Amino acid sequence: MTNKIYQQKHELWLNILFASFAIDDERIKSHLYDFSQIAFRHMKWFGNKVLESGKDYNYDRDMVLLKQESNFAILKVLKEKIEATQVFYPDTTLGERVKTDDTYLLQYVAELLANPVNNAEVTAFNMERKWEDLDQSQIDALTLFLFEESYKEYELILVYAYMQARTKNMLHFNVFEDLVDESHFHLKSFGNMMAKLGILALPRELHRMTYVVKDLDKFVKDGIAEEEAAKEMCKELSDSIKDEKLSKFFDFINYQESYHIKLMEKLL
Amino acid sequence: MFEDVKMPEGMSAETLEHLMYPKNYGKLDDADGTGVALDEKTKEYVIFYAKLKDEIVKDVKFATNGCQDTVVIGSMFTEMIKENDVDYAQKAIQKMHDKLGKLSAQQQVCADIVFTAFIASLKNYENKQDGTDEELHLLKMKESCEVSQEEEEENDK
Repeated sequence: MTNKIYQQKHELWLNILFASFAIDDERIKSHLYDFSQIAFRHMKWFGNKVLESGKDYNYDRDMVLLKQESNFAILKVLKEKIEATQVFYPDTTLGERVKTDDTYLLQYVAELLANPVNNAEVTAFNMERKWEDLDQSQIDALTLFLFEESYKEYELILVYAYMQARTKNMLHFNVFEDLVDESHFHLKSFGNMMAKLGILALPRELHRMTYVVKDLDKFVKDGIAEEEAAKEMCKELSDSIKDEKLSKFFDFINYQESYHIKLMEKLL
Repeated sequence: MFEDVKMPEGMSAETLEHLMYPKNYGKLDDADGTGVALDEKTKEYVIFYAKLKDEIVKDVKFATNGCQDTVVIGSMFTEMIKENDVDYAQKAIQKMHDKLGKLSAQQQVCADIVFTAFIASLKNYENKQDGTDEELHLLKMKESCEVSQEEEEENDK
């Protein structure tokens, strides 16, 4: 088991996830999001196998998110990526499971592509940045927030998953699991909002200096300070925007960040 | 804070493009010079890789765990210096300051951490030329990204 498989799966997870964000059809979006969560679990299992074999994996990736203009263009790119990834899977029980899952996903994508009713214009990359009831300064603020926080959630998912895979402490393992799950939900929420604004983009790649944590206590204390900052950003955004629905959403996220701090304190 | 968001040149199409698709982001495995600028208070860092040939910056990459201002400035700066000579690159720091106009105190720190990482990469290159075995050159920031309200207000005057 090598890092190559891990990297391919990492890229495929992001491909499925961002296809889900970009496509506006709720039925397709929801299905693809479920598949992206399965792909993330594949990635985690491959990572464990890499570690069991005495090797290590990293978060390097080699991919771009092209500005596609239709559902079918996105689905065709996704189909190619799934097919290209299949050749990397090993002939093991895990490899067979993953192949079966991906074959089922390929079948689903093929069914979507066979029916023209599933095709539609994609506005997730058009950079128009329009949001009902928000003026330009509020949209600028929301834009910055979404870029900042979508990267942060992606970073948190990967950093906590990296630590979870290496801990022998059950309490820590469970806390990392909860934090990863919470960040998945936040990334999903922010990714879909970015698509609505027409500014969907991949979070930037993580450098090794970011995810190899040498001092857990220091990392957690810094993380708590970051959560406090994120809470403040949510509160300011909630106070400054005029859209009541959006404002309530940021209050809801704000309360979630409060509980993250409690979870993180268990790691100290 | 959010009523007064200031990005380099406002939220222009150029800024948005750098946010969505940062240029020269990542790492260079065959860099001649690698430098890191670190803000010890916030643990924010920028790592800068430079590939040099006959004093020309042939290739350049950067990575950071920092904020979007750092990403946008890093993206713009690397675009400016690529395929230019080292002397131009050093002068480009001032040009970037001019291009970015009046920045907030926090954004100035973001700009400085990018430029400091670049200078560290040149220092690493020089050290290697002198025979020093140095994987990367680290420079610690004097000013932290964590800017107090008073400093922000002072800067706005």
